[in-house]
Amino acid sequence: MLKDRRNALWRPSRRLFLQGSAAAATALAAPQIARAQNKELYINSWGGPWLEAAQANLFDPFTAETGIKITTVSPVSFAKLAAQVRTGVYEFDVTTLGGGDIVRANQAGIIEDLDSPYEGGLFENGVASHAFATLMAWRTDAGWEETPQSWADFWDVEKFPGARSLQRYAARVLPIALLADGVAPEDLYPLDIERAFAKLDEIKEHIRVWWTGGSQSTQILRDGEVDMIGIWHGRYFEAEDAGAPVDFTWNQAEIDRAYWVVAKDTPNMEAAKMFVEFATSPEPLAGFVSQANYGALNPAANEFVADAAKPRMPTSPDNYPQVFEQDMSNWGGDPEEVSMRFDEWLAS
Amino acid sequence: MAVTLSTLTERRNLWPWLLLAPLAVYLALFFLVPLAEVAIMSVTEPRPGLANYEKVLTGSLYRKVFLNTFATAALVTVCCLLVGYPLAYLMNATTQRRAMMILLLITMSFWTSFLVRTYAWMVLLGNNGPVIWLLETIGFEDPPGILFTRFSSTLAMVHILAPYMIMNIYSVMQKIDRSLIRSAESMGAYGLSLFRHVYLPLTAPGIANGSVLVFVICLGFYVTPVLLGSPREQMAAGLIGHQIEEFLAFGLGSAMAIVLLVVTLIVLAIYSRRFGLDKLYG
Repeated sequence: MLKDRRNALWRPSRRLFLQGSAAAATALAAPQIARAQNKELYINSWGGPWLEAAQANLFDPFTAETGIKITTVSPVSFAKLAAQVRTGVYEFDVTTLGGGDIVRANQAGIIEDLDSPYEGGLFENGVASHAFATLMAWRTDAGWEETPQSWADFWDVEKFPGARSLQRYAARVLPIALLADGVAPEDLYPLDIERAFAKLDEIKEHIRVWWTGGSQSTQILRDGEVDMIGIWHGRYFEAEDAGAPVDFTWNQAEIDRAYWVVAKDTPNMEAAKMFVEFATSPEPLAGFVSQANYGALNPAANEFVADAAKPRMPTSPDNYPQVFEQDMSNWGGDPEEVSMRFDEWLAS
Repeated sequence: MAVTLSTLTERRNLWPWLLLAPLAVYLALFFLVPLAEVAIMSVTEPRPGLANYEKVLTGSLYRKVFLNTFATAALVTVCCLLVGYPLAYLMNATTQRRAMMILLLITMSFWTSFLVRTYAWMVLLGNNGPVIWLLETIGFEDPPGILFTRFSSTLAMVHILAPYMIMNIYSVMQKIDRSLIRSAESMGAYGLSLFRHVYLPLTAPGIANGSVLVFVICLGFYVTPVLLGSPREQMAAGLIGHQIEEFLAFGLGSAMAIVLLVVTLIVLAIYSRRFGLDKLYG
């Protein structure tokens, strides 16, 4: 993919150069290209099914409407978002953040102040876009007599022997451990951090992979490297659609909200803000979530969501009662400290 | 007309420096300046002081990861030596033509990208890969998963680094004066004692060169242990990346990078005192 500037970290000057030449061209040439620098927008991409849906429903229609070209940059990197503000070299103007990261990003002052394009849409300077879930999935060829029902079964290595995998991300894994230990979803927050780590101790030796990337999680499930996994629902359906012998449950799936944010002080501010508004407006958002099976967070989008897409959406009326939501405002500890402890725990 | 060149060649001490200048300027701009920035960051982020170093040198996670980095580098070095020495010996003992064939096979993996080789190991060692299949066919019931363990990451690193060892040892072996071996034989040394007292000491410089190169390169390995290993055996470079990506801990990551650099320099300094650094370059 030509558009994917994967190694851009190592040659960040290219864009500066391009902008420099654009500026020079503006100075030299006719006034009609004076707006040239605003004609391109760089968006941080998650790749996979996310990118396909975003390209078809958000990026291409936005370009058609405004004439602003969109280039995607992979992978999604919180560190790069911060580094951009520090160095003033911008690789991307717009990105999405989950509930855990957006609080940190806003506190660190690395994202731009935004206005809410729809009522109740703004959280910590991010515009709520879509909900995604971390759910429990497994291989149907693992040879078990019963079907796993809940995270407690994920921990039950006697009844369901086999290798397991979870994301290397404390904010998502700790609530799951507490559910497995019998805490009711409504009593989860604030989290009992000690109890969660104690429960994680039990499963540690059975976790073969702590996955760090979405495509990696699909791959290890599809290739049978693990028998049971906590995986993003979009990535699960990717494995299922590829024909892998897999199954899953919505029960106790963990909902995260994704927010569009604009990198602080980006030179493409105007286009970036326009895009965020466009991407969270009802019709484009409905198309995006219908294709990628996310749950739309702008309620006005729901009337445009096709019924056929709903069974795969974590927020649809059938599925929503079975899932639980992250609560970052009442989390139960300093997420950063807990993450560091989680890292030490992983290495020990 | 040829004045400039001849005057330059006459001032012999100036000529080499002129030749070096483009590289020196390049390195200064693109290596030393960013490195200095890393060093500065390590004592200024998030606030001025040595807190980052204190954390890196006393925190249990960092100590464990650094120790593991050295242990892994040492293990990889030993494995490379065990694999590489006999192969270099074979290349030296066989005909020139066959030696070239072996050399070609060894260097061929150099032409493949690092990442591709790492993914190739994932395919080979995976649960549905040929290695597990082979284990099952020869009678292993329920063979243990070998991917994402210390074994798989070490194996891949040995594969990537072994050529450095082999070529170093081979080049030293080639220069050994055969008459030394013959005279040792005439004095009654043969077999193991010939190897221990004559051949091994003669190839020692090659072993030392290869080992230092492999060890030092291995200290900084990033992608292979991250993709093929597990967090329990993570290495310093992986943790540096993780610290920055996950916690935006630029200062802490920089301090770890500087500690790793200093330790690497110490290894090279010890080697330099013992053998001379120039030996590394043949």
